Amino acid sequence: MNTLTYIARRLMFIAPQILGIVLVSFLLVKTIPGDPATLMLGPTATPQAITALRHEMGLDQPVLIQFGIYLRNLSKGDLGTSWQTTRPVLEDLLMRFPATLELVSAGLLTAILIGLPLGLVSAFRPKSWFARAVDFYSLGVGSLPDFWLALVLIFIFYTLLGIAPPPLGRIDLALTPPPQITGMYLIDTLLIWDLPAFRSSLSHLVLPVLALGLINAGPILKMTQSTVEKMLQSDFSRYEVLCGLPHNLVLRHALRNALPSILTIISVLYGFLIGGAVLIEIIFSWGGAGQYAVQGVLNSDLFPVLGFVLFSAIFSLTVYLIVDLIYFAIDPRLGN
Amino acid sequence: MQQRSVKEKEPRLRSSTVALRLNNLGVEFPTALGNPVVAIRDLSLEIDHGTILGLVGESGAGKTTLARSLLNLPPVPGRITSGECIFDGTDLRKLSEGEQRKRRGRDLSIIVPNPRSELNPMITVGDQIATRAEIHLKIDRAEAQARALEMLKKVQIPDPVRRMKAYPHELSGGMAQRVVIAMALVCSPQFVISDDASSGLDVTVQAQILRLMRELAMEQQSAMLFITRDIGIAAHFCDQVAVMYAGEIVEIGTRENIFLRPRHPYTIMLMAAFSHNAGLRAQWRRPDDQAAPRNSQGACSYASRCPLAQEACRSDHPHLRELALGHQARCHFPVERL
Repeated sequence: MNTLTYIARRLMFIAPQILGIVLVSFLLVKTIPGDPATLMLGPTATPQAITALRHEMGLDQPVLIQFGIYLRNLSKGDLGTSWQTTRPVLEDLLMRFPATLELVSAGLLTAILIGLPLGLVSAFRPKSWFARAVDFYSLGVGSLPDFWLALVLIFIFYTLLGIAPPPLGRIDLALTPPPQITGMYLIDTLLIWDLPAFRSSLSHLVLPVLALGLINAGPILKMTQSTVEKMLQSDFSRYEVLCGLPHNLVLRHALRNALPSILTIISVLYGFLIGGAVLIEIIFSWGGAGQYAVQGVLNSDLFPVLGFVLFSAIFSLTVYLIVDLIYFAIDPRLGN
Repeated sequence: MQQRSVKEKEPRLRSSTVALRLNNLGVEFPTALGNPVVAIRDLSLEIDHGTILGLVGESGAGKTTLARSLLNLPPVPGRITSGECIFDGTDLRKLSEGEQRKRRGRDLSIIVPNPRSELNPMITVGDQIATRAEIHLKIDRAEAQARALEMLKKVQIPDPVRRMKAYPHELSGGMAQRVVIAMALVCSPQFVISDDASSGLDVTVQAQILRLMRELAMEQQSAMLFITRDIGIAAHFCDQVAVMYAGEIVEIGTRENIFLRPRHPYTIMLMAAFSHNAGLRAQWRRPDDQAAPRNSQGACSYASRCPLAQEACRSDHPHLRELALGHQARCHFPVERL
């Protein structure tokens, strides 16, 4: 009951939060120099044609009026049309957002699988050579950009060794992509039980996911290490040791107490990566939502950008809500 | 009471009743400058079964360091430099890490102060007590839970069935202290260390908890090292009293000897500090009194604070001497009469 009221209260705030985010990004996108009408009609267009198109697109109206129109359309489920793809933004995003989500989720999962155990072990044995190696690793990935690592991985595993597929999209060009069910190839190929397509999409995921995972394991590792170490030094862990509890139990308890902080960093990373993985998307020609939004920004294509902002805002807020609910589940002190 | 004072008459003869013997313990804390601080210096102790030894001394005397070093876990970054801790016929420090761990909490357990922060905030009180029983006594979960509940009843927590499922933040300080006592005693240890466990409680709760600890310890015929800063509590509660100063025992003896016939100037100063007699306080305290410098090799460590210090005190480190049966003091010129 308590939790339900909490969810209801949180959901109530989501609408104004999203409205604010959309307003701010609308105004920001409007300040980007460049006129879509000029870009659409190309260098040979007459000024009259440009003026006519501007009028047709509503670009001659004051910004706030334009925003009002956008909101009205939004309430009908219309996110506008991209002039680059000439398709409704909603359709474009429903196709591309799952691609990004698949990439980012797998990347984050890899980062957790790398960062959490490494952080845990180095917190438990802070002066060992292993902990030193882990420190070196987190320092290293903290200073490397993910796109650079991606290029190195491509060079080694595709160019030199030839065991990775070329960085050209999400699935072998010779194969038909699965029909859109969830939009995530890994899941869709399994749903229609197309194993060659599944294998192909899996092998296409490996390098970008590895690049994202190896780099983003850094913050997760650091957070795990420092909070678990702090928990191990706290009075209750020391008392558990004084009471003769086994090391692995003491460590497990420390991890449980450190979990809220680790979850926080993971949820922040998740929201960030939706847009932050764009360079990886570009390098691997992923065709994801981040890439779509960046194209929009570069070409004054307003609606894809706003649509992307809207999607990722809803996504981030949902992730934060879920994480807050997990906090409630694991920390009894937050019960009231 | 009567029975106990009989035992005091022949402390050295019945060595089989000794629960724990500490020989020549030394503990050091490394410092950035290189010269380590000696926290415990060449300390020896014996505690009999069914006896409570009170350990009094001001903050920084090394009481907690001693308590944790008995479990071979001196406070970080402390290091045990010498000594043996004989328990049950074996030197605990010579056992493997795993064997030591098995004994901690099962045979030797410690009751800590500030119980709210010593309990894991994410786990229910019942589970925390039961886990200790489950691991040390190798019993199944249900049995451990039953034992935990029984322990909560013994420490007289109101509504123990409900408290089993309570989290530490839902308990008052007094209740949390009872939980820590239940935790320390759940495996019926033969040796219990109480490290200032009654501080931070108000006086009525303190009296209840002390009585409880004493009853439980006596019921199990455990030996107890009772550490406190409050010499008044030691006077009421302990069979034997040791006074600790700068990492050394300066006076040790039966309660009657220590409180009726104190011989060391520091013991007298501690008692005077608790008395309402301002004249007495002034007499046993030097006007320039301040914390003594450590590592005063070749001198009595109390010499710089002692109102009776003489030339020999500044040049010669005194040994613990037997002044009467069951009464030892570390002083060149023990006080004859107050």
